[in-house]
Amino acid sequence: MTGDIFTPLVMGVLLGGLYALIAMGLSMVFGVMRLINLAHGDLVILGSYLAYAVVTFLGLDPIVSLVICIPVMFGIGFAIQKYLMGRAFGISGEAPLIIAFGIALIIQNSNQILWTPLSRGLTTSYSLASFSLGQLQFPVSYLLDFIAAVIVMLALREFLVRTYLGKAITAASQNKRAALLMGINNNLVYGFAFAIAMVSAAIAGVFLGMTFPFTPTSGTQFLIIAFGVVIIGGLGSMFGTLVGGLILGICQTLAGTFLGPATQMLIVYVIVLVILAIRPQGLFGR
Amino acid sequence: MSQEILLKISNIDVFHGTFQALWDISLEVRKDEMLALIGANTAGKSTLLDTISGLLHPTKGKMEFEGKDITHLEAYEIVELGITQIPEGRGIFPEMSVIDNIIIGSYGRRARQKKAENLKRVFQHFPILEKRKKQTAKTLSGGEQQMLVIARGLMADPKLMLLDEMSLGLAPIVINELFKAMKEIRETGITIMFVEQNVRRTLQEADRAYILETGRVTLSGTAAQLKEEEGVKKAYFGI
Amino acid sequence: MKALTQKLTTGWLLIIVVVVILVILPILNLPREWTLYCFLFLIYLAMSNMWNLLAGYTGLISLCQPAFLGIAGYMVAIGTWVGVPWWAGLIGGAAIAGIFAILISFPVFRLSGVYFAIGTLVVPEALRIIFYLWKPVGGELHGAGAGYMIKEIGDLSMAHIYWMALAVALISAIVLHVILKSKLGLGLASIRDNEKAAASCGVNTFRIKVYPFVIGAFITGLAGAIFYIYQGYIEPAATFNVKWTMIILLATVIGGLRTEGGPIIGTIIVVILYFLLARYAGFSLLIQGIILVVIMLISPQGIVGIVRKTRFYSYLERFATKRLI
Repeated sequence: MTGDIFTPLVMGVLLGGLYALIAMGLSMVFGVMRLINLAHGDLVILGSYLAYAVVTFLGLDPIVSLVICIPVMFGIGFAIQKYLMGRAFGISGEAPLIIAFGIALIIQNSNQILWTPLSRGLTTSYSLASFSLGQLQFPVSYLLDFIAAVIVMLALREFLVRTYLGKAITAASQNKRAALLMGINNNLVYGFAFAIAMVSAAIAGVFLGMTFPFTPTSGTQFLIIAFGVVIIGGLGSMFGTLVGGLILGICQTLAGTFLGPATQMLIVYVIVLVILAIRPQGLFGR
Repeated sequence: MSQEILLKISNIDVFHGTFQALWDISLEVRKDEMLALIGANTAGKSTLLDTISGLLHPTKGKMEFEGKDITHLEAYEIVELGITQIPEGRGIFPEMSVIDNIIIGSYGRRARQKKAENLKRVFQHFPILEKRKKQTAKTLSGGEQQMLVIARGLMADPKLMLLDEMSLGLAPIVINELFKAMKEIRETGITIMFVEQNVRRTLQEADRAYILETGRVTLSGTAAQLKEEEGVKKAYFGI
Repeated sequence: MKALTQKLTTGWLLIIVVVVILVILPILNLPREWTLYCFLFLIYLAMSNMWNLLAGYTGLISLCQPAFLGIAGYMVAIGTWVGVPWWAGLIGGAAIAGIFAILISFPVFRLSGVYFAIGTLVVPEALRIIFYLWKPVGGELHGAGAGYMIKEIGDLSMAHIYWMALAVALISAIVLHVILKSKLGLGLASIRDNEKAAASCGVNTFRIKVYPFVIGAFITGLAGAIFYIYQGYIEPAATFNVKWTMIILLATVIGGLRTEGGPIIGTIIVVILYFLLARYAGFSLLIQGIILVVIMLISPQGIVGIVRKTRFYSYLERFATKRLI
């Protein structure tokens, strides 16, 4: 009987890792710029499609394709912040939201035109395999997701805490004016923050693609999941994002086991709404 | 006190949107002096400091620092040239540690090279900060936070330091300590320009002062001169 | 009567002429597509006007509209299966959409800005799953999802449905106009500019936000239900879909947020683009997305904002306010 709860628990933890990985970029951008990027889900899927292109046309392994995808996504992220989002803040309160929505639209439909609504995957021989814990079997791809999540979380934390740029990003998020007076070029800093978030989105996109099939419209779903992770775990905290992901993942798999698989996403949505209603700043939030 | 002019402001107008805050302001800051800016709350003192720091830009007139035109430079460029502002209300980075707050001051290229040297000096001026260096900035007392932001400003290796209402909300003992520290800092070759509400105290500490009223310079002179001025006596000392 | 005729200006005359043309449109022997395009224009216009009220004038970007039109649509459909006539289902469905809006306003209005946007994004997504699982009346499912045919509307002609759409569109315009001129409109504007200041002036911010939300839900529900009556069937995937939100948002923003004429112009453009490029499915939305971003950056008040700055506009204004009598 213990097998019944053990499987969803382990699956939940591993799945939570993927969710955390997806959410980290969103968390950092919000922590720094107070911007919840409505296009984040679609940017992650863009990462998936980018990897797909590299895998299909260059025959590389998806993880290896990151060598190309990361710089590309970095550049895209920097450009989006510099030319679009950065300007949006000066226009009006709603402008960043609407522009983010527009970016999401553009990405979704570009993908639809380029790749058709057919679902795609980044599967490899090892991602389809399973490993065993005791008597139970789990997909290797889930384990890879979790490992990637932990690595990215540690890397981002170290970056924010140890490097000058990382400290500048943190400072700019806590007191914009003081940061300016310290010689920090806020525009540049925001650009880097967004670009780094995109890098983490690129990584998330690859691992997502290795775990689940994706379509041009998958973005919305993952935006909501990422948002849920971020508000459970607290905005701007990388560790909190990891914890938030685990919590959400476990809730989802437990719900799936006891209430039926079709309700899984519904439970996630309900959790998001409930948390929004009672504690929007999250468990670790400031 | 030398006669060499460090910062020269000539006839600037500054607007907040469509509202004019400063009218035809001209002033000079001389090397190694303690210069005070006195005026009521709405006189435009903070606006002037923000303009010097590059957060605002004049619509008319010119500002020169060490002979270089800084009128339209961005804030981070002005910091790089050697002007640092210690803002009103402390302006700490609340969730970062004390040492991180201090170090971020040396973000600029020039400052980063002198980081170790400046850090030693900063801890000499404010030993309590070294003691508390791992604490989160928001747990410090008001006086300690003020020291923190001054320390942070020093790490930027400034030639001119602008202090906006340094003594706001602090006990007299603490204020004395801070002024003592500012005098020590001046001895190390940094020029200081400060804005204060407490006029009597300000004229005690400053070498020279400008008086600002509703966006215009109405009086200027040495502290001794201003103390004798009838207008100042009436307006600020109620005599 | 004399006062009314004195108020008659060129502008009003034009509006009356346009409305009359719209009314007799289906009776003229025009190609069928024209009626269809105008029908869609009217439906989208009604929804955009209401969204403009919420987003443009109150500053709340609501991504929740599919929920309202879906609920109303499903109520009509389910109603016809249990013997409720379509017109009752129409009004009832819209009313239920309104009540639903009241219910979710409690959790959702405690949020602002982006939280509000995402909160409202989640609602239609959740409803999609709910309506996929919930099959209240058995039998005939349409397609793969839990879809329903709408029964007993055989005697409704396209013209009838069109006129219903026209009525809703007119109602939406009138409601928008009336609210903006009222005390409620003033309150909304104050919230948009500075909510804290508004609250300290005694504006009951929560209640005031609820009004446009609920009224908008009702009218959006009406328009949606009419659309599904036209379509004849409803199913969750296409109903609770962000595509509706995209159309509404595009129409309003391209035309001009916070302007009364904005949604009209924007909807025209959206409908034209949509049909010009109907064959190239992704392209029309892609182009609209690009236009959206460009417009927000260049002229946040949309096309109306651009036109307002030209001299042509002042000619228009003078022309429109010229008294006729």
